[in-house]
Amino acid sequence: MPPADPNRVIAALARDRVSIDLKTVDLCFLAALTLRADRQALASFEEESLVDLFEQVCDVVEPGAENPRKRATHAIQRLRDQRMLARVDGAGLVHAGEYTLTRLAAAVIEYFLADESLTRESLSLLTGTLRSQLAEILAAAKKADSADDFRSGVAGPLRVTVGDLVAGIERRQRGLDAQQEEVREELARMLQADWFRAVDRCQQLLETTARTLGELNEILMRDTHHFVALLLEVQALAADAGNDDVEAATQRVIEHVDRIAAWGAARQRVWSDYYQYVHRFIQDVVRLDPGRALSQMLRDQIVGWKDRPFRLVLARAPSIRLLRPLLVGVERPPVTRPRSDRESLPAEVAAGETLGEVPDLVRAAVSEGATDLATVASRVLAAIPPELHYIATGHTTEILARLWPTHGDLERPWRTVLDRLEIENWTVSPKGGPA
Amino acid sequence: MTGSSFPTLLEALGDDEFPGVDLALRRGRHIGREDGPAYEFLVEALDHLEPFYRRFGCELVQRSDGFFFLLPSGDALGQRHLSAGEMLVGQTLALLYLDPATLAQGGRIARRLLLERLSGLIGAESLFRTLNPRRRKFDERVAAETVRTQVSEALRGLSALGFVDLEGDDLLRLRPALLRFADPVRGLSDPVRGLEQLVARGEAVLAEAQKDEDSAAEDEEAAR
Repeated sequence: MPPADPNRVIAALARDRVSIDLKTVDLCFLAALTLRADRQALASFEEESLVDLFEQVCDVVEPGAENPRKRATHAIQRLRDQRMLARVDGAGLVHAGEYTLTRLAAAVIEYFLADESLTRESLSLLTGTLRSQLAEILAAAKKADSADDFRSGVAGPLRVTVGDLVAGIERRQRGLDAQQEEVREELARMLQADWFRAVDRCQQLLETTARTLGELNEILMRDTHHFVALLLEVQALAADAGNDDVEAATQRVIEHVDRIAAWGAARQRVWSDYYQYVHRFIQDVVRLDPGRALSQMLRDQIVGWKDRPFRLVLARAPSIRLLRPLLVGVERPPVTRPRSDRESLPAEVAAGETLGEVPDLVRAAVSEGATDLATVASRVLAAIPPELHYIATGHTTEILARLWPTHGDLERPWRTVLDRLEIENWTVSPKGGPA
Repeated sequence: MTGSSFPTLLEALGDDEFPGVDLALRRGRHIGREDGPAYEFLVEALDHLEPFYRRFGCELVQRSDGFFFLLPSGDALGQRHLSAGEMLVGQTLALLYLDPATLAQGGRIARRLLLERLSGLIGAESLFRTLNPRRRKFDERVAAETVRTQVSEALRGLSALGFVDLEGDDLLRLRPALLRFADPVRGLSDPVRGLEQLVARGEAVLAEAQKDEDSAAEDEEAAR
């Protein structure tokens, strides 16, 4: 199965408005259910036993709370709404229900109850099992003749067994991360409480954690290299058989294994930095100030600094001066245009014969009933070559305005003339005859 | 026979690390273990570089806390003094460096914690007046903003000098050089004597002397 698109998954979760809101009493109730199911090998709980158990939990968590049975009813409903409890009898109203913890509840409680951090033993066991599984998968891949063989002998075990084992290692890695954070806080707490007397315990804790991480990293480095080699062989066989699904599934497992190996290296590096830092702190600060007087004196120094100010001295070499190369000052002439005679004498140009026809064309258009400039111009220009249309339009306008009374609105409309020109239109009154 | 891995000064000066280290030291930067190769170079070349810098009228100081810096003893190299803001912020960071709570974060603290500790120790109004001695009017909102700005400026300055590393907008990584701010109270039960010794060694100046120098510099500038 290809991994789901994160955007779609997130959109779906947002659309469903998923949320979890568990109170302390709810978590304690779930933990009590998990422990009882584990101890008594129960697959489900009757409603009455749920209520009894809730009352017991309530006595511990909120002693003196009123009406515990009613609270139990609400708690059960709340946990069902949040998919922590599921009713499994399917009897509806016929009789009291039977409930079981969901996978979600099991995961939540596992986080609080299970001590699942990575240890040398657990990691060796997991990597050993993983190695034998991968060897079996490789043997199956070598024997596989058909797509079905690949699906059942390679893809299935890769997804389920190998996937679970690798996820198990990752889960324990996260456990170890949380444990390391606790170690850091524990170191700080120990020094805070006992200062100099805590030095030996701090160093012991540091050494233990560093040794554990070193061992784990060593196992991871050695075994992950082996896993990747086996997986690459499986991938090559899948590629030869043209089985894209198995090839992709193997690639995903390889990436997962790489991530596990990278975790080991990264954590060891970070811890190494931290280890050095704490050692220096112990050496430079704790051992030199066993009575922890320095902090108090420094605090007093800060508070009294404004009454007795002092300042630390530091070196300050001026920057090296880089002199620019010497430039001889140049008198730049002002920017001017070259002088030239732009006044040319008017030349006499004979009017074209075509344009000479314009007055007659105008008169003819008006006498044929044209009453506005656009119509007159259209008729005149139709008889004139296109290259003279612009000039002829001017002539037409001038002749029309000179010979007949014209009238124009305040906002004169634009009219198209022969699809090439646009003019502001006005009307003429041909009734008065040419002036 | 020296413990240096460089047989001669010439070879030390010819090392690739030298130009960067030299410029940083001359600009007042403290070079610590966190600086990796630069620090290792100084450890290796110390025997040659100590007399080398002495000729420039300054001393290459190595501290057991794990850092080097250049201390000018004459006028040849030029010297500066930290500002009031840098001093207050530096001292508070040194206090946080000594706090075991900082250990859990590997020597990193949030900027917010610095401001909280600073105002907790000195008080908001007193802090504002110490950083702005010429401003008489105190408005809480304006003062808070001014102090935040001045603390940021001081942090930038201290970061350039190798006292602290700025990691992102909010995180500060404290460096051992901050212990210089605790020098007056280190090793002696009498802080006044400790400060006097520091001044005598030329590692610190009293602010009165600083004031005189500042006004002399201002007069000199006005006369130009």
